[in-house]
Amino acid sequence: MRRLRDTAEAYALLAPSLFGFLLFLVAPIFGVAALSLFDWNLMGAPSFVGLDNYRELSADPEVWRAVLNTVYYVLLNIPAQTVLALLLALALNRRIRGGKVFRVAFVLPWMAMPVALGIIWSWVFDPRYGAVNQVLGMVGIDGPNWLTDPAWAMPVIASVNVWQYTGYTMLILLAGLQAIPHQLHEAAMIDGTSPAQRFFRVTLPLLRPSLSFVLVTNTIGSFQVFDTVFVMTQGGPGGATDVLNFHIYQQGFQLFRTGFASALAMVLFGLILLVTAAQLVYFRKRTVYDFS
Amino acid sequence: MKKIALYLVLLAGAVVSVAPYLMTLNSAFKQPAQVLTTPAWDPALPVTLENIAQVWTEYDMAHFLMNSLIYAGLVTLGQVVFSTMAAYAFGRMSFPGRDVLFWGYLATMMVPQIVTLVPLFLIMREFGLIDSYLGLILPTAFGTPYGIFLVRQYFRTIPKDVELAARIDGAGTWTVLTRVVLPLSRPILATLATITFITTWNTLLWPLIITNSDATRVVTLGISALKGQYSSQYHLILAAAALALLPLIAIFLLFQRHIVRSIALTGLK
Repeated sequence: MRRLRDTAEAYALLAPSLFGFLLFLVAPIFGVAALSLFDWNLMGAPSFVGLDNYRELSADPEVWRAVLNTVYYVLLNIPAQTVLALLLALALNRRIRGGKVFRVAFVLPWMAMPVALGIIWSWVFDPRYGAVNQVLGMVGIDGPNWLTDPAWAMPVIASVNVWQYTGYTMLILLAGLQAIPHQLHEAAMIDGTSPAQRFFRVTLPLLRPSLSFVLVTNTIGSFQVFDTVFVMTQGGPGGATDVLNFHIYQQGFQLFRTGFASALAMVLFGLILLVTAAQLVYFRKRTVYDFS
Repeated sequence: MKKIALYLVLLAGAVVSVAPYLMTLNSAFKQPAQVLTTPAWDPALPVTLENIAQVWTEYDMAHFLMNSLIYAGLVTLGQVVFSTMAAYAFGRMSFPGRDVLFWGYLATMMVPQIVTLVPLFLIMREFGLIDSYLGLILPTAFGTPYGIFLVRQYFRTIPKDVELAARIDGAGTWTVLTRVVLPLSRPILATLATITFITTWNTLLWPLIITNSDATRVVTLGISALKGQYSSQYHLILAAAALALLPLIAIFLLFQRHIVRSIALTGLK
């Protein structure tokens, strides 16, 4: 009897969240898988086409370009932001004065609105009125037309994300560094190791849990870039920044190709799952240390 | 020497982190002509409210900001209330189906937002909620797996004895949750509220899809439209961007202690 009442109480507490979870998260996930098998422009009746959407997208050069653009964006982002974050974390891990102030300053970019950042970056990288080309001009360099230059547009967009998430990543890595018992460093020092040896043999292996966490979550986030592309380039110039998320939005909500967009969304999901699984397997293979 | 180099690196990082905010705020208060003719770092002298006033009234930023406040405010309220309830069930009660459900929640955290977008739009269309506040708010108002996970982890660190004492005094589950557990959980609730508000305030994609008139448009849409319309009138679009960022800066400075700590903890689990 008591058990029954406990169960009823638990489900009563869960009810609102479960309602939202099933209706707005689980049902749409199954829905998108089903929709990807249909041809539908939101009017009339959807017609079942089997795997046609997938066949079509695999032969679509624009889709391949979007996949490559997305991967390029992730590769511009993740290494830069992780290395910078690690350097800053190592610097802050030495007990220095003003550490708290630095920490707050570094996290400040994390909360910014990506849409507003897109506007600010468009201004900073404006060929004529932007701060970047003005500074370059002072040292005699004629800066490029950043966002309308196919070679530069993507790196500029990626720099927004690097700016926004380096401090956030640093904070997580710093917490990981602080969790490493300092006796280990002392022991290694007594054994006469160099600072580089201590970093690669002691610090880095022990930082692996935090490192894998930021790599996995930041990669998942990076694959979903949309806001900055939407504000800064709309996928241009000439498709140079047309990433998957933006392509799906255009297909689904501007051209109303609901089935095709759903199939594309499944592809993005599959891509993220694949990359995440690969990262997890890579980190799982390495030894795990536990000091608790 | 080494210490000086260390400080220089940190200082450079801090300057880069803060500079875009400062340059934007600075330019928002400059004379319109000065925004194009003087470098971004030249101070706004004399300070003018002209740009702010123009976007506030002529371009309806006041209205977009109000819509964002309603959107982010209600989603935050729902998130805090419903995530807390679910987190208590998951973290402190045992019932059949608990672990399966909890893993189901966690699994969906990996699903990209764009995946659910088309069906979510169709559901809202079915309910006749396109271009309404309700349509805007509903998908995230019942709490998110992330919110539930965050609070559940915190609840599990509260000693069971605290609850037991209240139970012996005859308190029911709801009383234990609201009178005993919640007062002990203020830091995590403040963190969750802050993070939810900031995330919702910054959201572009869902409002872009679900709203189609100025009546329901939020500030992310307002400033992107302004950018599309007046791409080189930087005095206006920077003033609008500054208005969109100011509430975030205020909230951040108010709650920075909670935010910094909670980010640091996310990696440790």
